Amino acid sequence: MIQLVLSLLVGLVLVVSLYFFARRAKPSAEGSAQQLRKAKQTLDSLQFGLLPNDLVERIFAREDLEYVFSSAPPDVQALFLTDRKNIALGWVRRVRAAVLELMRFHRGHARLHARLSFSTEIRLALNFAGLLTACHLLQIAFYLRGPYAAPGMVRTAAAAAGRVCLISENSLAFLSVKGVDPLESGAARHRA
Amino acid sequence: MKLSINLTDVELAADDLRRRTLSHMAAPLERMIYLGSTRDYNTGLYYHDGLASRFSDEVACEALANCHREAYRQLLGSSIEDLVLQIDSYIRSTHAAPRDFIAAWKSLQPYRVAVPSSTDPLAVEFLCGNVRIALAIWEAHRDDRSRQRPDASPQLLPVR
Repeated sequence: MIQLVLSLLVGLVLVVSLYFFARRAKPSAEGSAQQLRKAKQTLDSLQFGLLPNDLVERIFAREDLEYVFSSAPPDVQALFLTDRKNIALGWVRRVRAAVLELMRFHRGHARLHARLSFSTEIRLALNFAGLLTACHLLQIAFYLRGPYAAPGMVRTAAAAAGRVCLISENSLAFLSVKGVDPLESGAARHRA
Repeated sequence: MKLSINLTDVELAADDLRRRTLSHMAAPLERMIYLGSTRDYNTGLYYHDGLASRFSDEVACEALANCHREAYRQLLGSSIEDLVLQIDSYIRSTHAAPRDFIAAWKSLQPYRVAVPSSTDPLAVEFLCGNVRIALAIWEAHRDDRSRQRPDASPQLLPVR
């Protein structure tokens, strides 16, 4: 009798486990499409919004600091430093959030849609880890010592983010059919 | 085929706009403010009478949008020192009284609505912060010179 109850219990546990595994393995088509779309938007925002070299160089340019400190009154100097600190912190926060979003996407869905090789996945994981650490250190540096605290690390983080973008772009390449971008229409680009 | 013809038309229209209109505006700031003003706030579409009559409404709209984005990118890449010079050049071109201009720009911040659509919010915030700082520096220079010579306006180098 006891053996029968135990067998039934084990069977029940197995059936429940199988049910949950089956549910996890089949994401809804709509949910997947939304996540792919979100990942593509995150990637675009990183590549075209946050990581262009000229923007990064401009935000962290010492040239502006030197000019403001040589020709502006003290209150304007203070305003400038506060502004730049907020922008630098905003930049690193946004890069970190975008990288986390891409990481989540890769962990959960990319393998279902793209054939990533093992070496690519390892490389991606290392890049993600390094980038998140760099972003965290940059945040601390900006908080404590201002926007010009770690120019070398900014360049390193931007380059690592660029590499992550390239790998992610390859795994999402099937979304960008030549001439038809589902995320952007010609008319929408001009709308305010 | 239609797409390539349209793109060529857009490039021609943009070149026409640069040659006839924008060439008279030395500073990207001036160009961005002007091109922003050709956009209808209700529809987000650009309109330019002369350009539309030479090409078409759609081509003119696309050309204006391209030139607007170009001016914005140039402005975003400007150093604060350069921005101070651009503000000086712009104030001179408007013929407005500097005191009124500064007061209006400080309170209304017209440069905020003059940026193209679909631009990254962080980049817009960065640009607006830079314009605000450049404006403050221009004003400080002007006050300094006014104290030295009451009838003087700031003499800055031409816009690069």
